[in-house]
Amino acid sequence: MQVTFKVYRKDPEKDGKPGRSNYTMDVPDGATVLESLFKIRDEMDPSLAFRCSCLRGHCGDCMVRVNGSSRLTCTAKVSAYTQKGPEIALDPLRNVPVIKDLVFDWDAFMWNKIRAVKPWLESADLPANGETLVPDAAMRDLRKVMSCYQCGMCDEGCTVLPVDFDFLGPAALTKAYRFVFDPRNQDKKERLKIVEKPKGIWDCVHCYEADEHCPRAIEPTKRIVALRDEAFRVGITNDKVARHHQSFAASVKESGWLDEGRLAVESEGLTNVKGLMKLLPTAAKALTRGKAPIPYMHTKRPDADKIKKIFEKAEQVEK
Amino acid sequence: MKYAFYPGCVSKGGCPELYPSAVKVSEKLDIELEEMKDVACTGAGVLPQNISDPINARTFAKAERLGLPIMTICSTCQGVMAQANYRLKEDPDYRAKINREYLAEEGLEYKGTTEVKHLLWVLFEDYGIERLKPLIKRPLTGLKVSPFYGCFLRRPPEAITPTKDLNRRKSYLDEIIGIIGAELADISGKGKCCGFPILSANEENSLAMVAKHTGESKEKGADFMVTPCPLCHLNLDGNQSKAEAQTGKEIDLPILHLPQFLGLALGFDPEDMNLKRHIVSTDKVEKKVEMLS
Repeated sequence: MQVTFKVYRKDPEKDGKPGRSNYTMDVPDGATVLESLFKIRDEMDPSLAFRCSCLRGHCGDCMVRVNGSSRLTCTAKVSAYTQKGPEIALDPLRNVPVIKDLVFDWDAFMWNKIRAVKPWLESADLPANGETLVPDAAMRDLRKVMSCYQCGMCDEGCTVLPVDFDFLGPAALTKAYRFVFDPRNQDKKERLKIVEKPKGIWDCVHCYEADEHCPRAIEPTKRIVALRDEAFRVGITNDKVARHHQSFAASVKESGWLDEGRLAVESEGLTNVKGLMKLLPTAAKALTRGKAPIPYMHTKRPDADKIKKIFEKAEQVEK
Repeated sequence: MKYAFYPGCVSKGGCPELYPSAVKVSEKLDIELEEMKDVACTGAGVLPQNISDPINARTFAKAERLGLPIMTICSTCQGVMAQANYRLKEDPDYRAKINREYLAEEGLEYKGTTEVKHLLWVLFEDYGIERLKPLIKRPLTGLKVSPFYGCFLRRPPEAITPTKDLNRRKSYLDEIIGIIGAELADISGKGKCCGFPILSANEENSLAMVAKHTGESKEKGADFMVTPCPLCHLNLDGNQSKAEAQTGKEIDLPILHLPQFLGLALGFDPEDMNLKRHIVSTDKVEKKVEMLS
């Protein structure tokens, strides 16, 4: 089948301006996108730059966007992308600094962020016999996370990174999970503090896109949610988030359901005059449009006392 | 056709226009609702699982006792409850533990049989589109509408498609726009996050998401956006002017709740659907709808 690959080009040694080169060739049945890229480089244009390593879908190095969606080119069959027409667009990932053509800056994309979560074990001194024994049950869950080969697909699927490239992202936060929950780690709270800073776990929208993108079913979003739940349990250290979560929890605990007016005010902080003033335009609009009842009332649900009992009991577990 | 109705906090709080619209539309469709008043907030993904699972199990046990499936009108309530329900159904030991430690004292037990369905799913799977079609008295012909699902009506998979044949759930909102006679103004972010969950932690990012989705919809020529999630509505409607200020671009896109959208097509007047309670003016939509009547 004749296929035209429309490949993103950028050469920092020339003018550095992005452009596109078209390469038309016969593609054999079953050929992958990566095999086609090899053919282009070997037979048509030796100046084309792209990355690859394992050639079997296990390293993530060859990830590019194929017709707009991120794919590992070594496992992506050409025939899967030609149903609508014999043209395939190949681009580097979105919102990532491009070095040359399809080669983008992995340090900026992921490795610097993984480094930022201190991806190593900090444990107390080894016992005299030189080994720390860990029950297998504790490691079973971590082994799943350790099977991550850092392909970056979760970061590519992330909803937050396109609006804020400084967000740590699911790959690095999943790496953080691996060390926060390692029983050999000596100070869980200190580790949590790193990811509780702005651009960390509390900036995640928990939209589950990362889980949908992960080729290893590691479920990065669930790992981030677990980190947040753990932070809630041991005490949230991000002040703004702590106020919001404490207010939310208090209102459900006391009345059975959410008091949104109280949440808005308490999230800003009762002594934060500037923050509270910021709420006024929204509150004024809500009042004029009849969105908020006057006078503002929040009543307990029937059975609020029973709900409170369950809430309090659950809070006490594992404390 | 009867449901244990779980309206959620926001339909009576920040989006008070939603609750009455949903009730009126259900009445019109002969969907009988028994409102669950003595149950708790789902936790909305804010409360940790160790707290929200027991209080959601209590809700499921109450519905089970009524012998009714639960109907929600909020993607977030739906998603949080569906995930909790999945854990409780799939793991009998976990369910037994929750029953023993939290529900037994009240004389409740969750046996794992309650279904939780959003109104949008109810329409397609229980009510039936063929039954709905003849009730559409005012097809919204000529209006362009963008869908916006709310994450939890699309992901995670165990909450949306416990069996493969339910994959269609991910396109129900697109389908209903066509069924109601409106034109689809499709947007790339319809299944993405609206930004609401990080409004408190990072308002700038949250508003950037609002601007992205509403801006794209506007560029596609949409008259309005429709959402089955009141939390998306709070951000996309309530904070649209802030998003405009942040990006310096005018958007001015009305956002309708799913029941309001259905209600207009069923023949209700815009006033009945409380459109005036939105922050972004719905005047232009109302005029177009009135011209159809």
